[in-house]
Amino acid sequence: MGALHPPLPRPAPSARPVRLLALLCIAAALAATAAETWRWSRAALHHERPATLSHTGAPVTGVTELSHAIIPMPAGVPSAHASSLASLPDGGLIVFWWAGSRESGPDVKVYASRWSNGKWSKNWEVASRDSLGDALGYGVRRIGNPVAWTAADGTLHLYVVATGLGGWAAARIVQMQSHDQGATFTVKRVLPMSPLFNTSTLVRSAPTALADGSWWLPAYFEIGHKYPMLVSFDAHGDPQRVTRIGTRTKSLQPSLVPVSPTEVRAWMRDDGDSRRVQQAVSRDGGQTWSDMEATALFNDSTALAVLRLSNGSLLMLHNREDIDGSARSALTLSVSTDARTWRPLRDVIDGVAGDEFSYPAMYVTGDELHITYTYQRRAIAHHQYRINLQKDMP
Amino acid sequence: MSLPDLALQIVYGRLAWALVAAALLLAVLPAVAQRTRMMIVAAIVALMLLPGAASPAYWLTLALQYPSGLLTGCAIVSLQARWQGRRPRYTLPAALALGLAAIGLVMYLDTFGVLALGLYYGGFNPVAAPLLACAAAIGFAVNVWRGHAAGPSAAMLIAVLLFSLLRLPTGNLWDALLDPLLWSWALGSSIVAARRVLAARTAHPRPAPELAPAHDLAPAAAAE
Repeated sequence: MGALHPPLPRPAPSARPVRLLALLCIAAALAATAAETWRWSRAALHHERPATLSHTGAPVTGVTELSHAIIPMPAGVPSAHASSLASLPDGGLIVFWWAGSRESGPDVKVYASRWSNGKWSKNWEVASRDSLGDALGYGVRRIGNPVAWTAADGTLHLYVVATGLGGWAAARIVQMQSHDQGATFTVKRVLPMSPLFNTSTLVRSAPTALADGSWWLPAYFEIGHKYPMLVSFDAHGDPQRVTRIGTRTKSLQPSLVPVSPTEVRAWMRDDGDSRRVQQAVSRDGGQTWSDMEATALFNDSTALAVLRLSNGSLLMLHNREDIDGSARSALTLSVSTDARTWRPLRDVIDGVAGDEFSYPAMYVTGDELHITYTYQRRAIAHHQYRINLQKDMP
Repeated sequence: MSLPDLALQIVYGRLAWALVAAALLLAVLPAVAQRTRMMIVAAIVALMLLPGAASPAYWLTLALQYPSGLLTGCAIVSLQARWQGRRPRYTLPAALALGLAAIGLVMYLDTFGVLALGLYYGGFNPVAAPLLACAAAIGFAVNVWRGHAAGPSAAMLIAVLLFSLLRLPTGNLWDALLDPLLWSWALGSSIVAARRVLAARTAHPRPAPELAPAHDLAPAAAAE
């Protein structure tokens, strides 16, 4: 654009404008320094500390199904995917998912439904590409995965994948907030995640609570190489830092679980040839991460969910290898007491070749486990279980 | 991380794309009268400020997000120079171009996962990023005061000022100093600069060092 022009042979400018420009620049430098000093003096220190859970020690012996249902879909919408569960301040649950004519379709929207008194409410629309475009001041091409989190102050945070020009490789993460239990949302910001037109970062897995009410949002990069990341938020929902998880380039969609005050594990979807659930560890409370050898659990590029129960046990909801060789036709629950070895607890659903039961989400309230997942790409299924600990058994 | 307000980003997006588009247009157009220049800039700003999808900025931001503060600064400096009737120069100064091209190369390799340095995330660092911004602001101001590289220094100062005062465009220091468009320009400018150096060397080869006459070496050889 011819921005930085060498002076051409012209009459020499008088000294006054040059001196004025120099003075302006000095004033600008002073203003910048003053602004940074003021901001620094008001900055609150944010110390992340993984939430530690009390251990009862009683092992999980199984889960008993209490109910299962298909969550009410919008009328005339054939495709649904990628559910996310969160609690509500009044004690209920809320689920978000996207639905439309097809994945990446222009009519795809994020919907929500509320669980109370043992049933799901009628769904309502939360976000569309038009509503996001209006709020952001620029266009959105596609809507993707929603991820929900309820902050300690009752604010519901929703992170939604929204693409720029292109497919999922052009994805950005929009942060929305609701102060009325998910009835209405406002767009807070687009998270700045990459220097490449801020593209190619997505969310899928549920956030992880930290000790002071703050949380980690798992994210991942996926153009060419695929690698997992985390974004740390303070208790008010303001991002504090971003970091990459390990150095692998073929794992994504991390599920983060603290296993001690300093040790945090990440389990990830495998995008490579090993077809095993990938894992990474942090030994400094999530600041730095190291790759670990893959687990023995089957994973053929399918999403998974992991959470920690109050007794210290870990539950993983994942697709197991089916006898017919399908990657997504059987969804199973596995349990671990040491974050190393996993044993199958029960199948949530087992279909036939060609079936798809995928993208699981989990949420625990008391001794109840709630599970949602994509049912045949047509709807979102919900299962409610009671978690049986050894002390419960006769 | 200290991030800008979304409303501020929307305003910045519209104005910054208007400035970049106006600078580009005035750079490629032949010299026109001052009044015409003013009308062109005003028309572009008005176009970018149109509501919603009617604004080209709506689509530019969809695809490219926000121009870096430095690209906006370059556009302002370019417009100011054009205003004064100076001819456009289509390449960045070699030192600036090489620096941006090298930093961008490392950062984009890091972002694509080829490297694992976390360089971009460092642009949010609550201590290092503001300190670097302050140091840069003072350095560039002194540069302008001394009359050294006033254009690039003023553009840099605009970028740092946008970052330090308003955290624009994204709250990340790297986004204030670099974006893929600016990096492409810097890369192109670096290639042009390298070709100029090579061409100059070819046109004016260095004279071969003169060898000392044989008899001057004789005493030394004899002394051995």
